[in-house]
Amino acid sequence: MDHPLTNNYRLLIFYTLFWAIIGITNFILLVIWYNVPLIYALLDTSTTFILFPLMGSSIWYSIRYNSLEDVSAGSLILFHFIAASILCAIWISITYAIFKPFMDDGNQYLANSLPFKIFGGYVMYAVFLVFFYAVNYYQSLKEKIKKEAQYKTLLREAELQALKSQINPHFLFNSLNSISSLTVSNPEKAQEMVINLSTFMRYSLTHEQKEMVTFARELENIKLYLGIEKVRFGKKLNTEFVIDEHCLVAEIPNMILQPLFENAIKYGVYETTDQVTIKTTCRCEGNILKFTIVNDYDASSLQRKGEGIGLRNIRKRMQITYNQPDLIKIKDYKTSFEVQLIIPQKPTMS
Amino acid sequence: MSKKLQTLIIEDEELARTLLRSYLKDHPDIEIIGECENGFDGVKAINEKKPDLVFLDIQMPKITGFEMIELLDHKPQIIFTTAYDQYALKAFELNAVDYLLKPFSKERMLMAIEKVIHHIHNAESNIEKLEELSNFRPGEAYIDRVVVKDRHKIHIITVDKIRYIESLDDYVMIYTQDGRHMKQKTMKYFETYLDPKNFIRIHRSFIVQVDNIAEIQQYEKDSYVVILKDKDKTKLKVSKTGYKKIKEVLHF
Repeated sequence: MDHPLTNNYRLLIFYTLFWAIIGITNFILLVIWYNVPLIYALLDTSTTFILFPLMGSSIWYSIRYNSLEDVSAGSLILFHFIAASILCAIWISITYAIFKPFMDDGNQYLANSLPFKIFGGYVMYAVFLVFFYAVNYYQSLKEKIKKEAQYKTLLREAELQALKSQINPHFLFNSLNSISSLTVSNPEKAQEMVINLSTFMRYSLTHEQKEMVTFARELENIKLYLGIEKVRFGKKLNTEFVIDEHCLVAEIPNMILQPLFENAIKYGVYETTDQVTIKTTCRCEGNILKFTIVNDYDASSLQRKGEGIGLRNIRKRMQITYNQPDLIKIKDYKTSFEVQLIIPQKPTMS
Repeated sequence: MSKKLQTLIIEDEELARTLLRSYLKDHPDIEIIGECENGFDGVKAINEKKPDLVFLDIQMPKITGFEMIELLDHKPQIIFTTAYDQYALKAFELNAVDYLLKPFSKERMLMAIEKVIHHIHNAESNIEKLEELSNFRPGEAYIDRVVVKDRHKIHIITVDKIRYIESLDDYVMIYTQDGRHMKQKTMKYFETYLDPKNFIRIHRSFIVQVDNIAEIQQYEKDSYVVILKDKDKTKLKVSKTGYKKIKEVLHF
């Protein structure tokens, strides 16, 4: 830890000015009031208000590693009393050494001032102590606030990261199996699917980099995803899109839609033998993007238990991102299931 | 091998079926006798055609491959196919029944067939292994549906429809709002896999759905009966430990 006086320019100025003002006042008093010869007044003032504060600044190191909370009051007082005594002793010795050549001319002023310096030294030590404790306290507080803010950002990022959808391995392996089959029966189609799957995977794997994307970009990815699933499910999967053109520029959290479609396929297409339609509607209302996805499902073979992990994660992610509850609405119509996302937009958007 | 293995493919995805078909096309010991797209048709086809070997997908619409096994009268050799299911894989590892992880190579599939032929030659039955697998519930701790077969019809009963279950030796009778269904499973199975918050084993012979209990009556010192919410006011005996469990769940 660097010394605050060398580290903080403003603190150094404050510390210097403080002692300078007292020093100059002292000097003027000595000369005008007590008629002390100029040279003695200068020597006295400079040793007290330049030399000693310089030495005193070293107590920072003892304070830095001796926080008020960790040590008992008694040992703290004892510690500082001893430290003050040592510092005073050194200071007075140096002062005496400086004074000595000037004391030979018979003037008693300098010699007489020495005992007073012992008392003054302790008082000034106390001033240093208060000053550096205050500095230390202020710095730790600032550091703590900074760390807390950092921690909060990290936590939020980690939370968002955890909530982001991961590509379902089931989807990946089934798609690979479809490709494996196509390489035999329809190599061109196999190639097309490999490319689609790669594009989709690339989007999903790099999506950590940017939190927000345009709706158009996200939609493109969804269509890719549904295209891959259509190869697997054939006629069983039918999709419909009703999208307001001007919604396309809206900003939405990336990969927030994919889990919705994954769910629709899991509960809709997977569990039935009939054709299932996934209908997607998107409208802009003022500063809100309303995204709705409806899928049929077979209630006879499935007992829907409201919100699964997928939907819960989206709910949480929306809440963290927009700091607003209830941005996801779920309706179960017994033969169809509806999920609506309400995505707030910046007011500048029309 | 004197006779070709009569083989059935049960798989919901067209492309997966195509692949299996092309792998099996030239195999000298295999004759494909049919293909099914879902578990319902699969059960029917197995019971009617009695194949020697079945390639069975696990995740399928309506009922899963595991659930299908419960409904079979005829138990063929089975090679499971699955894309990814960590729970199911666990079950397979504990079990010698062979399985293929999608996507799989032709060589890997041939190995599985070799294994099956070996089983048949040594007259090793895999019925026990299959039963074990059918008792296995992948993924979730509690089941949310039960599949039953009455004569030729398969019913899927979501657990919220179950009123109570009665034990009948090797079978259980499942009473629902619409009727009753017999199933070859143990009480222990249902006690383990039905959510204990909703279902209580009140007696050696009964498991009852909590929401279905209308009243609990004392009819002798230390013995109780549960009266159900139906028009017949069905009475079920409660054992001592059963009574304790009811008290725990209903907090009285």
